[in-house]
Amino acid sequence: MNASGSHSAGWKSVVLRYETLLFVVLVAEWFFFYHYGTTTNRRGTVVGFGTLDRQFDILRHSCEIGLLALALTPVILTAGIDLSVGSLLGLCAILFGKLWHDGGLSIPAAAALTLVAGALGGGLNATLITRLRLPPLIVTLGTYSLFRGLAEAITHGAVTYTDFPAGFLFFGQERWLGLPTQAWLFALVAAAIWLLVHRTTWGRAFRTIGFSPEGARYAGLPVERRVAQVYVLAGLIAALAALIYTARLGQAKADAGTGYELFAITAVVLGGTSIFGGRGSVTGTLLGVAAIAVLKNGLACLPVVIRLNAAEEMSGLLTGALLLLALTGSVLPKLWSSFRSRHRRT
Amino acid sequence: MAAASPTPSPLLSLRRAAKSYGGVRALRGVDFDLRAGEVHALLGENGAGKSTLIKIITGAHRPDAGEITVAGRTLDGLTPALAQQLGIACIYQSPALFPDLTVAENIGLRLEPAGAMRRVDWGARHRRAAQLLQQVGASIAPAAEVRTLSMPEQQLVEIACAIGAGARIVVMDEPTASLTQREQERLFTVVRELRAAGVGVIYISHRLEEIFALADRVTVLRDGQSVGTHGLNEVTEAGLIKLMVGREVAQIYPPAESAPGEPVLTLRGVGCAASGVHGVSFEVRAGEIFGVAGLVGAGRTELARILFGLTPADAGEITLNRERLAPRSPPEAVARGIAYVPEDRRRHGVVLEMPIAQNMTMAVHRRLFPGGWLRGAAEQGLARDFIRDLAIKTAGPDAPGGSLSGGNQQKVSLARWLATQPRLLILDEPTQGVDVGAKSEIHRIIRQLAKDGLAVIMISSDLPEVLGMSDRIGVMRGGTLTAVLPGGSPAAAVMAAALGQNERPDPA
Repeated sequence: MNASGSHSAGWKSVVLRYETLLFVVLVAEWFFFYHYGTTTNRRGTVVGFGTLDRQFDILRHSCEIGLLALALTPVILTAGIDLSVGSLLGLCAILFGKLWHDGGLSIPAAAALTLVAGALGGGLNATLITRLRLPPLIVTLGTYSLFRGLAEAITHGAVTYTDFPAGFLFFGQERWLGLPTQAWLFALVAAAIWLLVHRTTWGRAFRTIGFSPEGARYAGLPVERRVAQVYVLAGLIAALAALIYTARLGQAKADAGTGYELFAITAVVLGGTSIFGGRGSVTGTLLGVAAIAVLKNGLACLPVVIRLNAAEEMSGLLTGALLLLALTGSVLPKLWSSFRSRHRRT
Repeated sequence: MAAASPTPSPLLSLRRAAKSYGGVRALRGVDFDLRAGEVHALLGENGAGKSTLIKIITGAHRPDAGEITVAGRTLDGLTPALAQQLGIACIYQSPALFPDLTVAENIGLRLEPAGAMRRVDWGARHRRAAQLLQQVGASIAPAAEVRTLSMPEQQLVEIACAIGAGARIVVMDEPTASLTQREQERLFTVVRELRAAGVGVIYISHRLEEIFALADRVTVLRDGQSVGTHGLNEVTEAGLIKLMVGREVAQIYPPAESAPGEPVLTLRGVGCAASGVHGVSFEVRAGEIFGVAGLVGAGRTELARILFGLTPADAGEITLNRERLAPRSPPEAVARGIAYVPEDRRRHGVVLEMPIAQNMTMAVHRRLFPGGWLRGAAEQGLARDFIRDLAIKTAGPDAPGGSLSGGNQQKVSLARWLATQPRLLILDEPTQGVDVGAKSEIHRIIRQLAKDGLAVIMISSDLPEVLGMSDRIGVMRGGTLTAVLPGGSPAAAVMAAALGQNERPDPA
């Protein structure tokens, strides 16, 4: 009846506050690693976290997971999930290598076909989810194995495509206008997804579907079409990530992008997007990606971690801790207010 | 103690009960008595404090002040467990049973003592369930899964649980909201039997005619205060409405003043095998309110779903403004100018988490946001206009839909569809669970829309509403339209058609 007058403050301001908090954490994290992770070696040159090269490295490494996280943000806003993006990245990398190396296509033609293949892979997810009304988690768990399996079948698990021309490697290994080339591509995609999610009726529809798919249907929104579109878009971006991955490493192999989907989901959720759909922002996702990338790379620069040779373990541990902390952090105000109201009355 | 009181001491009494929720005073010192063997109606607009009062009685909330006396024990608050122990049971609008368990298992869960390693005596459990169900006059098999039962059958199971638990005080919160006339009658019989057995029944309903038919006394709440307890032989319907709203409501239904124009919608033998609708033919004219009456399950909502493209028709022909209409999906129906305000506004009518403004523009994305780019100013403007025109009580366009009361949510749902400037407006139970004040406002809005030339289909289980609002009344039964009666037909004629009685109502 006269229920919650308290949450009328609006969820928008809460998201904003959460993003601000995450930004503060990110800056603190960065300065921590800058302070403890930067050293001078015997020859007197500065090494570790504080060097420009290392910062560019972080940027390069975060582009592919960042792209997947951007692809997953609309998906998760619709209360869906796509576990197959990492596998699709691997499949697309192999397809690209094969089309160019064995198929004799030019790089641009192979790249264009790879993007089409990515969209088709996403389309497969979309068809299964919207036509057969299967749950996204199960569908993409299936295609997660399927895409990786296909990639391994094509290469028999052994072939690795290398010797890509310098013009292509430029996108993954060089700088353009002072920044790693792929950072520009990433920024472009990020801006596009931001506009899509926050400034268009498509983004509005994604949220509506996430909050209440039935409510969206009864409002006359094209629910199936919008849901299909987020998965196709995710496939397309996974293909782009595959191209950048291949250009960065200079090789295409079947295990490319293994486990990336989990990092990407972590980044999205850390960025404040609700796994139940509806709530979230692209800015949050970008901050989430940055927080994880800085953590991972920063740890590898800490002398104590280097001495213990435990960078992988530590980054896994701390990413998990950060995620759980973020999730508890978002419910703490609610817990606190209910605790207070329970004790005020006595 | 109260032992010296001259009249028989009540089963339950509340003295100066007060409760606030974060600064909002929901109850401000309410006195309430329930005697053994009476049906005591609780009446008030949404927000008057009925739910809060019930929550205090069932132990869900503790009052901030005041005291409760139950069965001779005076307490300053109850807990759910204590309330149950003292013989207080509550039957909610939508029963809280486990759908995947059988009736006997559900009853067993409530009534049998819990304990680890306790063996279930299935024979006794089923016998007991059968006996309790018989007591409430329900022909339900104890082995039936609850999911296969209708809403009223589930309510009867709840009542059976209450009887089995030996409840002395039964609270019924809008028990008839989703019942048909006949199911309602059966429920009333059960309630009367409870009363005869000395149980005190607290009965909440928005439907005054029910209260007059069933209750012995009525307590009216307004703004968290009791404005009086009366015997039902002492008050009139108009008097109660006045007490509830604190003012005279001159006419409950605004008069029809429109002269229907050209036919807007025509149905010829329309059917849909999947939803059990068949052979529906009728037409709706511009400026006309076409009421659709019938029992729950007669196919009224299913008909609306066909017109809105949710379950496409597979037989017959529909024309809208003389052009063929066969929507395969809601977007197609919306594009053709069909608007549907659904029955379940919390699930379908309003997205509770989203701001009012976004809820209102949801069906007009194409028109309001050319190229797909959101325009905040246009959205806010539209929302502010509707908030003003429909007198929606809200903190503003950015307040989430869930923060509004039922009547105001319904207005938001209505605004969303009025924004589409539809040719045909379908309203499904437009005032269900809406308080009296908002109800008459919604009626006035609907009448005004018809006057402005809109064709309106109004589905309603509220018989006085259908009779009072409709220019013509279509009656559905068993998936098809069985009769079209003129507006102002006697209630008995509509009920007879809905029940399938061919004989004319008594000429007297």
